[in-house]
Amino acid sequence: MLCARLRWRVGSKFHCACQREHSTTLHQQNELNAVIHNGSAKDPSLSGALSGRTIAIKDNIATKDSPTTAASKALTGYTSPFDATVIKLLRQNGATISAKTNLDEFGMGSHSQHSHAGPVLSQHSRSGVPLSPGGSSGGSAVAVATGQCWAALGTDTGGSVRLPAAFMGTVGFKPSFGVVSRWGVIQYANSMDTVGILAGKVEDARRVFGCLDVFDGKDPTSLSASGLRIGVPLEYNIAGLAPAVRSAYMRTLGLMQDHGHSLHPVSLPTTRQALSAYYVLAPAEASSNLAKYDGIRYGYRTQGPDASPKSGLPLYARTRGEGFGEEVKRRILLGAYTLSSEAIDNYFIQAQKVRRLVQRDFDGVFTQLNPLLNSDITTGSGVREEQGVDVLLTPTAPTLPPTVEEVKRQSSVESYMNDVFTVPASLAGLPAISVPVKLSGGGDEMVEERDVQSVGVQLIGQFGDDQLVLHAAALLEQIDREV
Amino acid sequence: MRSSTIRTAPSHFARALQYISPGLIRCPRPCTVAKWLQSRSLTTATAQEAIPLRKHLKDEAKRKKADAKRDGNTASTKPGGDPRLEKWELTVGIEIHAELNTASKLFSSAPAEVLESDNGGTANSRVAMFDAALPGTQPQFQVATLLPALRAAIAFGCEVQRQSGWDRKHYFHWDQPNGYQITQFFQPFAKDGCLVLDASDGVPALDMQGADRLRIGIKQIQMEQDTAKTTNVGSSTYHVDLDRAGVPLIEIITLPHIHSPQTAAAVVRKVQAVLKSVDSCVIGMELGGLRADVNVSVRERGTSGVGSSYSGVSGLGQRTEIKNLSSFKAVEDAIIAERNRQITVLEAGGVIGGETRGWTLGATETTRLRGKEGEVDYRYMPDADLPPLVIGQDLVKHLASTLPTLPDELQQELQDEYNLSLKDAKTLIDLDSGDRLDFFLRTVQSVTAELGISRQAQIGKMVGNWVLHELGGLLTTHQRSWDDVRVTADELKDILVCLHRKQITTRVAKQLLADLFQRAPAPAARPSVEQLIETGNLRLRPLSEGVYRDLARRIMEESPEMVKAVREKGQKGKVMWFVGQMVRQGEEGTVEPEKAKAVIESLMGE
Repeated sequence: MLCARLRWRVGSKFHCACQREHSTTLHQQNELNAVIHNGSAKDPSLSGALSGRTIAIKDNIATKDSPTTAASKALTGYTSPFDATVIKLLRQNGATISAKTNLDEFGMGSHSQHSHAGPVLSQHSRSGVPLSPGGSSGGSAVAVATGQCWAALGTDTGGSVRLPAAFMGTVGFKPSFGVVSRWGVIQYANSMDTVGILAGKVEDARRVFGCLDVFDGKDPTSLSASGLRIGVPLEYNIAGLAPAVRSAYMRTLGLMQDHGHSLHPVSLPTTRQALSAYYVLAPAEASSNLAKYDGIRYGYRTQGPDASPKSGLPLYARTRGEGFGEEVKRRILLGAYTLSSEAIDNYFIQAQKVRRLVQRDFDGVFTQLNPLLNSDITTGSGVREEQGVDVLLTPTAPTLPPTVEEVKRQSSVESYMNDVFTVPASLAGLPAISVPVKLSGGGDEMVEERDVQSVGVQLIGQFGDDQLVLHAAALLEQIDREV
Repeated sequence: MRSSTIRTAPSHFARALQYISPGLIRCPRPCTVAKWLQSRSLTTATAQEAIPLRKHLKDEAKRKKADAKRDGNTASTKPGGDPRLEKWELTVGIEIHAELNTASKLFSSAPAEVLESDNGGTANSRVAMFDAALPGTQPQFQVATLLPALRAAIAFGCEVQRQSGWDRKHYFHWDQPNGYQITQFFQPFAKDGCLVLDASDGVPALDMQGADRLRIGIKQIQMEQDTAKTTNVGSSTYHVDLDRAGVPLIEIITLPHIHSPQTAAAVVRKVQAVLKSVDSCVIGMELGGLRADVNVSVRERGTSGVGSSYSGVSGLGQRTEIKNLSSFKAVEDAIIAERNRQITVLEAGGVIGGETRGWTLGATETTRLRGKEGEVDYRYMPDADLPPLVIGQDLVKHLASTLPTLPDELQQELQDEYNLSLKDAKTLIDLDSGDRLDFFLRTVQSVTAELGISRQAQIGKMVGNWVLHELGGLLTTHQRSWDDVRVTADELKDILVCLHRKQITTRVAKQLLADLFQRAPAPAARPSVEQLIETGNLRLRPLSEGVYRDLARRIMEESPEMVKAVREKGQKGKVMWFVGQMVRQGEEGTVEPEKAKAVIESLMGE
């Protein structure tokens, strides 16, 4: 375990915002390995919407006063000379950047186990074995769940904010692609990378989003409190849906209906292919985005000379071989293959077509037209009722968090399965949020006291409808709390 | 480059590299950036010394002469004379990379060119964070870089695409910080243009096939990033200078419409001239502003080769590509060598492989770099960071209507309106990046204004002679380049006005020019032409017919053999010898050659 060397000095002041019942001790927090670099000390003098709030930052977002490594050996010791735009906005609004949090290397993973700084653990456990915190923003989710910060930024490329939120019982919001600046966010798959917010409550996520949503101004989207049209995608009712998740999801749907919102079955036929498309496109983009880590200008470089240019090899074969972890190497190779002239037609091009179909499916079911499309473009095969829906409500992950031992036994493809519900919104760039709801506790399964007590459900809105998604999430959160 | 110690970017790097506000050219801090890069063992060196343009032009001319001579003597190198060429036909397509004349780089606001405040261009001083591929940085398309690219596309008659896109071309090299080059692979911004050449551009008569003009199709033009500059220091040390990384280029791809090495060189030369005339690319090939890759194939005449085709041109032989040719001579020589190699292989019953080959100046053969199996798979993909590039017709129309005159039109104008010969017109356009032409036009304008004449044709030829031949002669004699010429267009105007008004003789005019040529340039005090004439007592004092006759008679008496030669042997040319003697022996600035000639002729006839 590498976490031993990453001492996280923290004063009791970080605990103030903790509102969970199972507040953890400092020792426990260190063992979870959520934080890998210190941030700045809290400065109560700062004013603004986030004054006095501590916010932890996923370590793939550039900060100039602490290292930014994306949990990769390839960026050992790298400190960015500039702050990411989101960091600048948070500071301007009075927030204190309290810590840099652990993640799957470069954001590639669903359980935060592939990190050069060691795996992240959930504070929950089952039969004495820690559960997976979800990934790749696992460090941020754990930091929020254990009260180490008031809120945290993560990045969501295929579900990396929503999945850990679902597994850790926090809120995880992925805004529309492009609404929040990516400047200073280390690319994984840049056509989907989105800065997301992890927080205890929707209200908190909304407050942070209000500061980061620089393009959308401060105008709240006016919306009547009742009568949301909620779409229920038939394709998300998969066989692999865990009973605990299914019952919590069904209960939530029922509650929403009870509170005056209407449910509408919709069909998103391309959902099935979306996951495969994502795991073709994201590695392809990753293989491109990570080409810059050659150890020449910054970051890790191997000892001794690395392949003399005369031998015909690139100057940095060994440096790259040593600098990247196994999962990252797997995705780089995968991506390099799917982009090769031999394979591009069968993989990359096909996946792009699927991506377009996924987007059209969504455009077909929402009331709102996609503002990015010209009006003359025909809608896709998404089947809706006459009127369309305002938001879609789905589970965030098909199962409760597995234990880290179960994760270890999973094949890569099995662990990719966790992203089946989060990936479609990423492919289409839509705003989506994961909100924790209580486990139904229907009696069929006994839940241990230390185990996770919530299930994440996801709300997805039309592109640009971020405020509506947050609004719907707040309603859902309120309803769940009242029960 | 072995250090694995922790390396942290200092905060001043951020300030030095923060070219993020569009439209604003900021002055970077060369020393701090250079230090930062040096601290990462990225040492840098100043660029290699470039060959001066004039020397290059002279060498070219010398070589052309030598070639012509050699071609005359040895049949084997003469294009039309090589018997193998009657059987085999050459086909060439060219890809030309030209550095665009822009203030900023393609995707960052870092300056593309050395600024004056830049301390002569310290290496790694013009590097934005994106240019150094710092994690989390994204490209920001600089719209202004589009303008010179569009001017080029319009000049070549291309169809400017309403929508084009940006793609990543991947390969690992230390001159490519991001690990990919951003280019326009799938959707270039301009398509289907052409280049028109004639014999005066250097196209051999054989290639013209009786027509006046030769049309070479241009398949497409795309914008892309340049790479960093690498300098090899010693056997295993490379210095990388990121100043050039991300500078905008256009790549111009011709169709395989070229069938001789001379035409290929003429195409590159003409492309350079056109790009210069529309201000798209102002740095010539000799200074690295242009680079060319050529695709070469041969086929037996009357056959369809091995049936290869390229962009609608079919029936070609297997082609090979020769990369990175950096002079017109290299283009021509490399094609000759590769053509001959392919013919030799084919005549021996061999097969040409599709491969990439290299050429070094002075070599006699191209060398194999890599075959098909060694080809880099560039894994092209659209760059999701960059939205599609949409270009409106209004912009294209505006640029087309304000486009500077193209070389062909300019040459015609110089011939028609300024009464210059084709050769002089072409020379004026080609010389000194257009500075000579500019000087010529300014002189003509001020002379016509001063003399109050309406037609430039009357004095165009005279001014042309003085600018090209008199000034040119002084440049050669004193081995100076055009940049060192101290005579101003105004001074030349004063001289020529005096000459035209017959206030001085031609001989005096030449003396005045040579005098001013030698003097220190402004702001040092320079006497005016008028002052020089006054102090030197050079004003023409017209002599009477009698004085002319006396002078002529005296010289004729002194040289009876010469008189005999003219009168008895009819050597009319000797008359000019007498004119020369009269000018020399008469008082300075008094004898006008025309009058002297008339007097001598009439006396000889007596």
